[in-house]
Amino acid sequence: MSWRGELNKVLSATYKNWIISKRNVFTVFELIFWPFIGLLSIGLLTRFLEVGDDMVAFVLVGAIALSILQISQIDVAYILLFDLWSKSIKQTFVSPVRGYHLVLGAMLFGVIRGVAVFLVLAAASGHLFGFDFLAGGAVTVIVFLAGIFITAASIGMVVCISILLFGQRADVAAWTLSGIMMLVSGVYYPVSILPGPLQILSKSIPLTYLLEYYRSAYGYGSHQILLGMALALLYFSASLLILNLAIERARRTGMMLRLSE
Amino acid sequence: MRAEKICKSFRRLFKEKMVLFDISLSIEEGEVFGILGPNGAGKTTLMSIFSTLIRPDKGSLEVLGRDALRETHAIRERINISSGNPNFPWSLTVRENLHHSAMLYGLYGRSLYRSVDDSISAFGLESHSDAKFETLSTGLKQRVSLAKSILNRPQILFLDEPTSGLDPEMAMKTRDLIKKIYQKEEITVVLTTHYMPEAEELCDRIAFLREGRLVALGTPKELKRALQIGHRITIEYQGMIDPVRLRIIPGVMEVRELSGRVEMVFDHSGRTFSSIIKAFGEADILDIEIEQPDLEDVFLELAR
Repeated sequence: MSWRGELNKVLSATYKNWIISKRNVFTVFELIFWPFIGLLSIGLLTRFLEVGDDMVAFVLVGAIALSILQISQIDVAYILLFDLWSKSIKQTFVSPVRGYHLVLGAMLFGVIRGVAVFLVLAAASGHLFGFDFLAGGAVTVIVFLAGIFITAASIGMVVCISILLFGQRADVAAWTLSGIMMLVSGVYYPVSILPGPLQILSKSIPLTYLLEYYRSAYGYGSHQILLGMALALLYFSASLLILNLAIERARRTGMMLRLSE
Repeated sequence: MRAEKICKSFRRLFKEKMVLFDISLSIEEGEVFGILGPNGAGKTTLMSIFSTLIRPDKGSLEVLGRDALRETHAIRERINISSGNPNFPWSLTVRENLHHSAMLYGLYGRSLYRSVDDSISAFGLESHSDAKFETLSTGLKQRVSLAKSILNRPQILFLDEPTSGLDPEMAMKTRDLIKKIYQKEEITVVLTTHYMPEAEELCDRIAFLREGRLVALGTPKELKRALQIGHRITIEYQGMIDPVRLRIIPGVMEVRELSGRVEMVFDHSGRTFSSIIKAFGEADILDIEIEQPDLEDVFLELAR
């Protein structure tokens, strides 16, 4: 198979997600409405509580990171979700694609949508709350977003793995995993206020380190970004490996047929 | 393609159910091979194993000279499948779905666009190419699935109940299209159906499955002969005959005598027919009706 053939296998997931998204009115809500409402609510809350600029930066960074994470992870989860809802999973898995083709293609679309959300929210937070999202410099933004996209892809793959292992009802994972992340990664508060066991859990989540890294650019504490990125890459590799194993298991157990019924 | 002792079970709610038992068969290159059987016989499961969508519990499978349990991706490049009750992403149009499927098979550039166009025209989908999949009738969905199945010019084409849910006219058209494709492309076709005339019309050889077991394998003619499913003949006559003379004719399997009419089942081979006529002696034969056995009879016999 030529490199162009391989590339098209990767882009097949990008193409499908793009077509479905552009036809779906829900996309407007995913890209603009909910992220904007989230940002606005948090921003207004900081006004009401009359917190200082550093605290405004702290919570707005969390709000924007969460929005990007959610949009990017759902795009990777859509690898199976769209097929699951249209009962066409076997059409995909009878073709000569591998897990990484699907993940990379969907991730590419997730990155495009994630960057779009970032730009909308960065502009809105600057205009409404005077918060300059680019104050830390371009490198900081790129490292921060790259970490979020890699983490989001891992979450999306966990959703796919859940569906392949437990069937159709596991699609609820698509909306719950990022909620759990929000709770333990210090999106709206420092992880130091969490109970002991949750603090340990927060240290195993890359988002915790990514938030610390970005906030440090605004003078809020120190960071361990290398550890965060290493964890993000480790989880990405492990998720991809487990996804391939889950696909093979679904072929053995017949789940692949049941998901298409 | 060669399958040796293929077994498959499915587990649901801690209960394991065997669905295929020791299936061994081989399919020759260029052959149209039918897998027949009643509902729940394991046809779709066997087809799914052959097309590498699912894996067997036991047994070995060789497809296009490769080990189908190890070299699955290389095999998938050279085969394709059209499923019964086909589904594709609903909000994509016919053309978009075919384009997406062509990408999954690694087609690119002009060959991708040409393949999509050829598939659309092969199945007469030109006027529906911009219609969303969710708006199509069952027949059109089936045609989209068939169009998708030839995108990568497969060497083996798997067709799972290709005419299920179609009205008789559309089913006939679809069978014609299938014939046209395998005659033109010279590919191996493996199809499942429980529509007997379809199997008789399309298949060189047939495997019958019942409750997950292979109960018969052969050409339609061989199966009819092996099961001794004979021709039916009804003769109306006037005069006297001796039914015993009819029963002792070699090849006659069954004789039923009614007033002025005899119904018989006989093996068409040899001189049975002329012997039957001679056995009527002086009686006047008023009418003869001969009914050839079809696969429906084979199916009913095997499904018992």
